[in-house]
Amino acid sequence: MLETNKVTIRFGGLIAVNEVSIRVQPNKITALIGPNGAGKTTLFNCISGVYKPTSGEVLLDGRHLEGRRGFQINEAGITRTYQVINLFWKMSVLENVLVGMNSRLKSNFWDSLFSTKKKREEEQRIHKKAYELLQFVGLEEYADAPAASLSYGKQRLLEIVRGLASEPQIILLDEPAAGMNTTEKAELDILLKKIIDMGVTILIVEHDMKLIMNVSNYIYVLSNGKLLAEGLPNEIQQNPDVIAAYLGGDD
Amino acid sequence: MESIKKQNKLPTIVGLAILLCVMPFLVKIVVGNQYPLLIMCIILIYIMAVTGLDILFGYSGQISLGHAAFFTVGAYTTGLLNIYFGLPLYLTIPAGAILSALLGALLAYPASKLKFHFLSLATVAFGEITYYFLYTSPGGFTRDYKGINVVGISFLGEDYLRWYFFLLAFVVLILIGKISLINSRVGRAFLAIRENTHAADGMGINVRKHKIIAFTVSAFLTGLAGALYVHLIKYISPETSMQKQSVLFLTMLLFGGTASILGTILGVASIEVLMECIRPLQEYQMLLYGILLLVVIVALPGGLNGGIKNLVSNRRRKKAMKELEIAAQAEAEARKDGDE
Repeated sequence: MLETNKVTIRFGGLIAVNEVSIRVQPNKITALIGPNGAGKTTLFNCISGVYKPTSGEVLLDGRHLEGRRGFQINEAGITRTYQVINLFWKMSVLENVLVGMNSRLKSNFWDSLFSTKKKREEEQRIHKKAYELLQFVGLEEYADAPAASLSYGKQRLLEIVRGLASEPQIILLDEPAAGMNTTEKAELDILLKKIIDMGVTILIVEHDMKLIMNVSNYIYVLSNGKLLAEGLPNEIQQNPDVIAAYLGGDD
Repeated sequence: MESIKKQNKLPTIVGLAILLCVMPFLVKIVVGNQYPLLIMCIILIYIMAVTGLDILFGYSGQISLGHAAFFTVGAYTTGLLNIYFGLPLYLTIPAGAILSALLGALLAYPASKLKFHFLSLATVAFGEITYYFLYTSPGGFTRDYKGINVVGISFLGEDYLRWYFFLLAFVVLILIGKISLINSRVGRAFLAIRENTHAADGMGINVRKHKIIAFTVSAFLTGLAGALYVHLIKYISPETSMQKQSVLFLTMLLFGGTASILGTILGVASIEVLMECIRPLQEYQMLLYGILLLVVIVALPGGLNGGIKNLVSNRRRKKAMKELEIAAQAEAEARKDGDE
């Protein structure tokens, strides 16, 4: 469903991502791993519209996404979380989720200004749905608290549920386990499987190898901006190139 | 939970309404002349103008240091349409607000790409351009430095009591509109852009479009305030679009507290009354704005509204603590009794 076709991203003389082609299978967890600075987040930023690829294509069900802006990509059905948590800090937890629903709302500016019946019904519906989403990740008791008051692990959960609020086809998770404790990581494992059960496809960047090997169906390995290897988790674990570059080789 | 909130709010609203209706009569009786009523009218007009600025700055996080320009555009549009074409006021006043809104949208189009400090410079420039345009207009159609005189609104005349209720109706409608807009997807988009523009884009919010909406709505309200102001005072000159007036609006907003309903009202009323009290020292106006802004930034970051909120929540916390203490004591005593 989602694929990149020889995507290259260049910043001046630096080639951050070099002709990378990946394919994300529907209803599967696809992982993107690699050492720091390999270009994983840059590729994510390219898919989600933060950067425009210097060359190459990004396709969702055959539709071109390269060069589209972030909000258009979100409307097309791709949402994401961030490596450095990017919540709306002073807004409440519930409001964060409501913002996430933005691209699926029907009421327009005039409905909003005059509180028409359409707006009031929609607001009621989405408040209920946002609350249900919070229950889905167990954050409902913090609904009215400011997002900034949550613990680090819970902030990560809120980012995931804010992304899910836009009813995406795919969610890009950028290091969701970073900063989580062991219990939270175990819960994340279950959550990822629940997200797949919801019918949402996952593309994940993560450094926690235990989590990755446990949950992913297919793995791409990036190193120095290039695709180093791809394959099933057990294949990747045994790939000598990957072991050398990433899992701790001779050097 | 929401129903509890509504129940608590209703008596406050009724009380406030009675106060607002009775106050002008009391003031008129106590003082014996119309002057304080005129000040109250100006406060109402400034509430509209600063509400406009609040939507832009308080909610959307877009600074404007040239908002007085929108105010004067509204005022001049209605005044000049009257003078040259003799159009009725019920057309020219909305025309003033709409032209101001259009200018806001036009300014926002390039300005929506600018980051905070560049945006502030662009809006300063916009204010200056407006000032010089009005001051030396092509063919002198704005009457240049002399400013323009208008006839005012005939059914209100110089009866400031009537003016007061006329303007109060506008303010109430505008504030209802503001509350409605803020508690909608548009208001949430504004806040999201203020809190984290990058994430707002990623979450499907068309940042540019919403910045333009914020600028347009803001300019509309401030322009409307200007269009009403000119008929109240019956005169306006290019000087009103100077930096001083823009800084006044910003001072009122920051002093009262941004992104709230009450903050705008408190800020406008307190600063306007203060300005009236020190009228003999008018040359030091800018100095005073500066001092007030410093005080707010250092001592009261949330403005008056934030200060009051803190006070209330602190008191509540103390009360809750005390209740807990009493409960603990009672429990301890009960245990003692039980032991004996």
